Amino acid sequence: MENQTFYYDNKIVKNFAYATLIWGVVGMVVGLLLALQFIWPALSFGIPYTTFGRIRPIHTNAVIFAFVGNGMFTGIYYSLQRLCKARMFSDLLSKINFWGWQLIIVLAAVTFAFGMTTGKEYAELEWPIDILVAVIWIVFGWNMIGTIIRRRVSHIYVAIWFYIATFVTIAVLHVTNSLAIPVGLFKSYPIYAGVQDALVQWWYGHNAVAFFLTTPFLGLMYYFLPKAANRPVYSYRLSIVHFWALIFLYIWAGPHHLLYSALPNWAQSLGVVFSVMLIAPSWGGMVNGLLTLRGAWDRVREDPVLKFMVVAVTAYGMSTFEGPMMSTKSVNAISHFTDWTIGHAHIGALGWNGFLTFAVLYYLIPRIFQTQLFSRKMANLHFWIGTLGIIFYAVPLYWGAITQASMWKEFTEAGFLKYPNFLETVTQLRPMYAARAIGGGLYIVGIVLGIYNLILTVKKGKFLPEEAAAAPALENTGNSRGSGEGIHRWLERRPVQFTIFALVAILIGGLIEIVPLYLVKTNIPTIASVKPYTPLELQGRDIYVREGCYTCHSQQVRPFRSETERYGEYAKAGEYVYDHPFQWGSKRNGPDLSREGVVNGRQYKPNSWHYNHMLNPKLLNEQTIMPSYKWLIADDLDLTTTARKIRVMQTLGVPYPQGYDKIANDELLIQATGIANDLKSQGIQVEPTKEIIAMIAYLQRLGKDVHAAGSPTASISGK
Amino acid sequence: MLRDIFKSIGGTENFGMVSMIIFVLFFVVLVLHTLLMRKKDVDDFSRMPLDDFSKESDDIQDV
Repeated sequence: MENQTFYYDNKIVKNFAYATLIWGVVGMVVGLLLALQFIWPALSFGIPYTTFGRIRPIHTNAVIFAFVGNGMFTGIYYSLQRLCKARMFSDLLSKINFWGWQLIIVLAAVTFAFGMTTGKEYAELEWPIDILVAVIWIVFGWNMIGTIIRRRVSHIYVAIWFYIATFVTIAVLHVTNSLAIPVGLFKSYPIYAGVQDALVQWWYGHNAVAFFLTTPFLGLMYYFLPKAANRPVYSYRLSIVHFWALIFLYIWAGPHHLLYSALPNWAQSLGVVFSVMLIAPSWGGMVNGLLTLRGAWDRVREDPVLKFMVVAVTAYGMSTFEGPMMSTKSVNAISHFTDWTIGHAHIGALGWNGFLTFAVLYYLIPRIFQTQLFSRKMANLHFWIGTLGIIFYAVPLYWGAITQASMWKEFTEAGFLKYPNFLETVTQLRPMYAARAIGGGLYIVGIVLGIYNLILTVKKGKFLPEEAAAAPALENTGNSRGSGEGIHRWLERRPVQFTIFALVAILIGGLIEIVPLYLVKTNIPTIASVKPYTPLELQGRDIYVREGCYTCHSQQVRPFRSETERYGEYAKAGEYVYDHPFQWGSKRNGPDLSREGVVNGRQYKPNSWHYNHMLNPKLLNEQTIMPSYKWLIADDLDLTTTARKIRVMQTLGVPYPQGYDKIANDELLIQATGIANDLKSQGIQVEPTKEIIAMIAYLQRLGKDVHAAGSPTASISGK
Repeated sequence: MLRDIFKSIGGTENFGMVSMIIFVLFFVVLVLHTLLMRKKDVDDFSRMPLDDFSKESDDIQDV
């Protein structure tokens, strides 16, 4: 058949590559600031916009969705055109994808700094931006599927399968987890509450790792590794098994983030079993990647692209062994809530995503600029500085995690906690935090070197916006299966059907875990004494969410003696039924707060303590790393939102009486005046309408209802 | 009505086992399929990234 000439769109690849580099630096510099705040809390600068709770989501979102996201688009837009032997389906859709994604990133950074957040990790964006994300994601998928349909190659290569799975799964996860009812333009409550919200969130959270940070990069690995090594994939058979097993199993693993929590045991067990099984396909992929280098290992010594790829794939292997290990209950009992999780996440982010992204950039930028990399030596230096950075980052955190978990759990011979003051377990880690900051700093130095090298490469070369290629048109083989053609071979040339099959594979796990929990009443036993928050407490809770308190404090006491001794009664599903959103947290830089309001409890503090603690934590303890929240004392509570919040909560099923929204502010002021009068009796003058009053009211409510139930198990009802 | 049926559904503990059986069956069929693929097809597919020559950029080699 006659060859057709066509042109690859390199401009969109270049745009995404530049965005990757810019956002990479921004996201990681914010990460470094966070790391330094552990050593010098004054780096919060005493203003709301730079406190840990507000900029932590900026860091995580910038690195995941801006740096890795743009890197993913760079690689996909480059490889998809070449694997399909076709230009992208629509230049307009490519541009909308690019500019829309950058707009989302800017909006995210601004809204997080202003405290506009849903309070759900890695899904903090409020509803208008969530809608924009969904629209831009569909544009990306439309452009991708359109390109695949217009391809000039019959077989759809395995890398594209991973891209398809990424598109459909992220769409499902994002929409499901973002379902919420707006209270205002930048405030909403999720439709899920408590345990259900936690399960949906971590089903999303874990699979964002799986289908945003893993599957697209596996696709990039299957394209760029053979290209860079000039070797075919080691085993195409293994890649087929790798793909289906991975996408089927990954979706089940979310509950391993909620072990020993109030989540029903059957769901926790599913999470553990499927997490352990995940080692098989993950390592299958890693082995397939590394063995693709057979016969080319001598080039790894010289070629920086291959060096970055080898460490990236090895980091993937380490992460995917460590993840299942941390998902077993015995290891999770130690690792959860500690810096182990942070170390684990950064082996994946810095090693797997970061290094593979730079391998791709070092590979494709010289090619689209028709030149050679400016300096191989500089790229090698980047590699070694980056590798040292990863080690310096992760090892101290592992050390610190084991240290802290041991201190949390240690008892004296007399049977008391050896370190009852939580802060002791934090100050002990300061040297590790300093080493972690050095590691992160080294990694950034490596990136700056890499960017300088790429800028010089770009200056040296001449950009090729339209790259000519030629291939015969795709022969029409019809919709039905040919003679002797198996179902899978047929699927491999039918993009729409393939997408539907992939969707079914990922939906099975999600539906089986979430639907019963949402609909079967016996899964969430109610507790009679648990009542909805008062209007003042509800306002206070929203401030707690706004300030990102969950980034340092959990609200989830695990059923260990070391935790019940430190905090009080362990967590039960029924106590969270009015929590939209749940605020269990995933890391303890400070103590758990879920029993904070139990009078005479282990964690109880008077109103005046909370006031002084928010005003200046160092007044109460010189060693603390908590920043000041003095603006809560100066800022007025927004009373215009109370009625609307109550109405939305009623819509979500929270049993406030009919018409309660009309008297909510009156009740709010009565409770607020009581707290203000108590503070006055302690010599603290503050108006009842200030935000600090609502925050204190919320903190003093935590755990009270469960405590009021007396023996909690006696008052739990499953029907 | 459908919601009421779901609310009273029992035996959710078994869902995981059923799903594992579905997965194992699917996995076995998949492995058999890959083992039965023609070697020539497999070799061709595994070389696909190497066959995307375009005119300008493929000659570029790193120094």
